[in-house]
Amino acid sequence: MSHQQDSLRPEEFAEAAAAAVADVLGRDARQAAAVLAASGLSGVCAPEERGGLGLGLEFGVPVCEAAGKLQLHFPLVEQLLLARAFADSDIADALIAGKKIGVIAWQGSVQQKSATHAAFADACDWILVADEDGASLLQAQSVSVHANDAIDPEFPLFDIAIEAPVIQARLSAKAWDALKNDAYVLYAGFINGLGGQALEQAAEYTATRVQFSRPLSAKQVVRHTLARMRLLHEASTAALQRALLKNEYSAVRSAETAFSGAIGNAVFIIEKAIHLHGGMGFTWELPLHYSLRDVRKIEAAFNNGHQLENLGAQFIAAA
Amino acid sequence: MDFHSNPIIPDTATAPDAYRTHAREWLKDNLPSYMRSDSLDYRTPTLEESSAWEAAMYRAGLAGMTWPKTYGGHGLSLREHLAVNKEIGALPMPESVSSIGKELAGPIIMTVGTEVQKQSFLPAILEMREYWCQGFSEPDAGSDLVRLRTRAVQEGDSWRINGQKIWTSGAAKAHYCLLLTRTGTVADKHRGLLMFAVPMNTPGIRVVPIRSIDNKESFAEVFFDDVVVPDSARLGAPDEGWSAAIRVLSIERATNRMYRAWRFECELRQLIQACKSDAQLSRRLQETYYQRRIGQLVCEIDALKGLVERSVEQLMNGEAIGARGSLTKLFWSECHQAFMALAQEIVSQVGPSSSPLAQRARKHFTTAYLFSHAETIYAGTTEVQLDIIAQRIMQLPKDI
Repeated sequence: MSHQQDSLRPEEFAEAAAAAVADVLGRDARQAAAVLAASGLSGVCAPEERGGLGLGLEFGVPVCEAAGKLQLHFPLVEQLLLARAFADSDIADALIAGKKIGVIAWQGSVQQKSATHAAFADACDWILVADEDGASLLQAQSVSVHANDAIDPEFPLFDIAIEAPVIQARLSAKAWDALKNDAYVLYAGFINGLGGQALEQAAEYTATRVQFSRPLSAKQVVRHTLARMRLLHEASTAALQRALLKNEYSAVRSAETAFSGAIGNAVFIIEKAIHLHGGMGFTWELPLHYSLRDVRKIEAAFNNGHQLENLGAQFIAAA
Repeated sequence: MDFHSNPIIPDTATAPDAYRTHAREWLKDNLPSYMRSDSLDYRTPTLEESSAWEAAMYRAGLAGMTWPKTYGGHGLSLREHLAVNKEIGALPMPESVSSIGKELAGPIIMTVGTEVQKQSFLPAILEMREYWCQGFSEPDAGSDLVRLRTRAVQEGDSWRINGQKIWTSGAAKAHYCLLLTRTGTVADKHRGLLMFAVPMNTPGIRVVPIRSIDNKESFAEVFFDDVVVPDSARLGAPDEGWSAAIRVLSIERATNRMYRAWRFECELRQLIQACKSDAQLSRRLQETYYQRRIGQLVCEIDALKGLVERSVEQLMNGEAIGARGSLTKLFWSECHQAFMALAQEIVSQVGPSSSPLAQRARKHFTTAYLFSHAETIYAGTTEVQLDIIAQRIMQLPKDI
């Protein structure tokens, strides 16, 4: 994949990203890391001197959208985040080259000796965990991981027991905060990809499934449900595009609202998509449930309910 | 009223940011406190006061921004329009009393009007000398204008109009009606629709106010009994006016009152400030239930800002907005209705011993809550917008 930042636009990048992600599907984690690295996707937002493409975060969004749309089961979002956050060390080199896999435990801390909500922690080399003043990148072999498969038996979240951790590197509090804002952006992209795919699938299915001599989507109640799904998907996309732009005073915008909004909207879209598929929607065979599980896992990892309360509290305090 | 009568309007070519600063400062310096709905001095402005205020805004370069200079506009782009709208939205000021003229009649006249009509009508709209009302809906033709019955029959150089309009906002104060008629019969469906600029003082026009659920008489039934207008009142040829109106409406749906998201944010601040002024309501704001709902609302407001800004960029890039205006209309109307329901839930707890600001908020938000039920009806109901999204954006098949 070549890049010409001056002329390349993120939306043009999407097609190439989708093709590269499609090439990874069905491979195990190590193979996937290598293929993604070969296509340049792991280092999209990392500096060129580290082997990355040196593109802005806005170019990571179509990559993550493609990953969501194709239901990629690999910590691509985390790879992008960590490669960007550790851009000044050889950790980035290893992630970008696909030699190492890094994941993030979004709750808990080193001090608590316990961290939770880490996806794909059973197949990684490093796990980023919050510490007293930022975050520590721990060697995976120095901690023990336990699957929490309540929401997803195939691709569970992991709890991490931290007794004698070996710290590979650290992020300052400022860098940890920056990574979290980047995470809101890239996860929002991933979530919008999941929602967009569910919407497309539901629209296609209801347009071809004939009942009472007409396609399901000819019926007003179905058309209106699909239109609402489309509306929310557009709202999520627009909110994310806005979050990527600087505000009127040239300051970076927080992406928290775009992220939290994307979760609620995607849950609505995917749940409705499942419902519109009727009995098929309730089967394991129809893969929409994977998308729902993915969104719910991210929602849980970031404790989105609490996050919404914080957004409200912040607005109240500032008013 | 004493507004800055000759403000210095910055040149956007040399100082794009200066225009926004100019708007902010002018509005801050000139908006009377009795027009601020968050002020204890607030009272409903008279029509004359509102008109004087809007005329002053126009002279300050804050209205008619995208209209050509030839017709009294400021000849600026949608970007400046959006920048100013953000500042307008950030203040709790009254809605325009001439929105039909500025957002509907003006753009349609600009598209299909004759040069004489443009020179005559457009500056008068911006200078607040003439108000307009919209005569589209009829008792049997609300969302479905195919059923329109008001008939225009040509008689030499004039037209004789008979029929009835309903839900006509601002009819009692309007100088002109943007009237949609048909030249044939209902069987002609969309063919033969003809638009007029009808002076409201023409003999044969009768306005009967309708009391709305917010206890106001802001809309009316309008009867046209043998109303005769000259051919010069016609806006475009048969079929031309309406098809232009459809195009204008799709753009307007996306771009008119683009300040809404910023106004909703302003209203939310106003609600919270009122709560903070009162011990009991202040405690409510500490409840996670309200914090979460406010957090959700903040997310929706940000998404609405995104939809509006994206529309502006698309239009600036020469892209057709088409049916996409329906997305914005549907999103803002439902977002605001839900917000007002939340506001009503909060201000319903205001009692006689509550703070004066809380009492002011109760009055304001109760009215706004009731009015918000019009928002999912006017300018195309929710169901019409959903149909448009399903059919024209998603292109869902209606049959095999």
